[in-house]
Amino acid sequence: MNSINLKINGEDCPVDVKTHWSLAYVIREKIGLTGTKTGCEMGTCGSCTILMDGKPVFSCLRMAVDAEGHEWTTIEGIEGDDELHPLQQTFIDDHGMQCGYCTPGMIIAAKALLEENPEPTESEVRKAIAGHLCRCGTYVRIVKSIMNAAEIARS
Amino acid sequence: MEYYSPTELNEAYALLSKYGDAAIPVAGNTFFMGHREELFDEVEAVVNIKKLGLSYIKIEDDTLKIGATTTLNELFNHEITSSGDYKIFAETVNELNINEVRNMATIGGEVCIAGEVDMPTTLLAYDANIIIGGSNGTRSVSMQDFHLGYLNTALETGEMVVEVQLPKPIENARGGFSKFERTAADLPIVNVAVRLALENDGTCKEARVSVGAATLAGVPKRSIAAEEILVNQKIDEALIEKAAVASNDVECINDFRASSELRALWVKCGVEDALKKAIAQG
Repeated sequence: MNSINLKINGEDCPVDVKTHWSLAYVIREKIGLTGTKTGCEMGTCGSCTILMDGKPVFSCLRMAVDAEGHEWTTIEGIEGDDELHPLQQTFIDDHGMQCGYCTPGMIIAAKALLEENPEPTESEVRKAIAGHLCRCGTYVRIVKSIMNAAEIARS
Repeated sequence: MEYYSPTELNEAYALLSKYGDAAIPVAGNTFFMGHREELFDEVEAVVNIKKLGLSYIKIEDDTLKIGATTTLNELFNHEITSSGDYKIFAETVNELNINEVRNMATIGGEVCIAGEVDMPTTLLAYDANIIIGGSNGTRSVSMQDFHLGYLNTALETGEMVVEVQLPKPIENARGGFSKFERTAADLPIVNVAVRLALENDGTCKEARVSVGAATLAGVPKRSIAAEEILVNQKIDEALIEKAAVASNDVECINDFRASSELRALWVKCGVEDALKKAIAQG
């Protein structure tokens, strides 16, 4: 076991981890933040995406033991005081989901995109979520949700 | 399974020597974590090499030097590797559509995988040298000689890749990269990188046509036949077509991702596309 201190959503989370444990596993099973989902656990579905210092990474492909010293943001950390993040709100309003399993990863990837590029084109949005699978096939509404959130964030 | 995060190169080399083939150096984590179940019984020590100061992109003595733990997005965003002589790096990274992987995967890892990845194909076209470090010092191996076969490299026990070097391309050099894949998350089915050095009158002085992901050898190979057609000629559409047809001297693999026939066709299309991109750069 290796003792580490993870900084997740601004809070310190001391935890003991084994070398081969993924960050996704630790976040869900040891820290209890189950908003982050695990699907394929081999970097092809995108549902475990979280932000490392503001940049999206797959938490299933990240060794937890190597996660110290960064600011991590999960889906639980993006809403404001009693108010949903514009992306969360538009995903509800525009029905950007069916089963909802891919949604946390989609929203995190979209958040990273909008911080870098507040006025994305549709093809830029599609490129930003290229590594994310939605098995319900809700892509059209997901793209619409992200485009609308961008507009709300700008206004 | 032990975890080490050395801060000195010698410390890292000592660990790699001590554990021998049971040690794995990691930086981006993507390959190791993606294959952790297969690797679980083999690996006794995970050596994190990210704190060794190997993340840099610089030009020294006319040579481009890229540290092994430089991530693909660092290559994509850095001034040196996204414009001018070396913008082929940004163009290669741009074809990998998963931003999340680009933020993690490193150039050293791509080189060491010796399988279906993009960067080695480009490095082969640019005559890159791989700098290998170990307890006995460093040595340089050309990209061509570094890959011995599928998942097999020239690294010996106790060694690791520390740097990738590119000699300055001849003046008026331009490059192109082309890729076929099934989905963004899948491995490439075919990738092609070309580099052309043109005289002022448009005559091709030097040509490299490199094909990856599709080869029977499992690692990138140069199409010598296509290169020979291009050298000492003025490049026009007819010549590009001829070179693309000649690229079938690269033997293609037949596997579940695509048949060898389909791959051969896509190699031809990829060579044509990459050459057109290179010419359009002018």
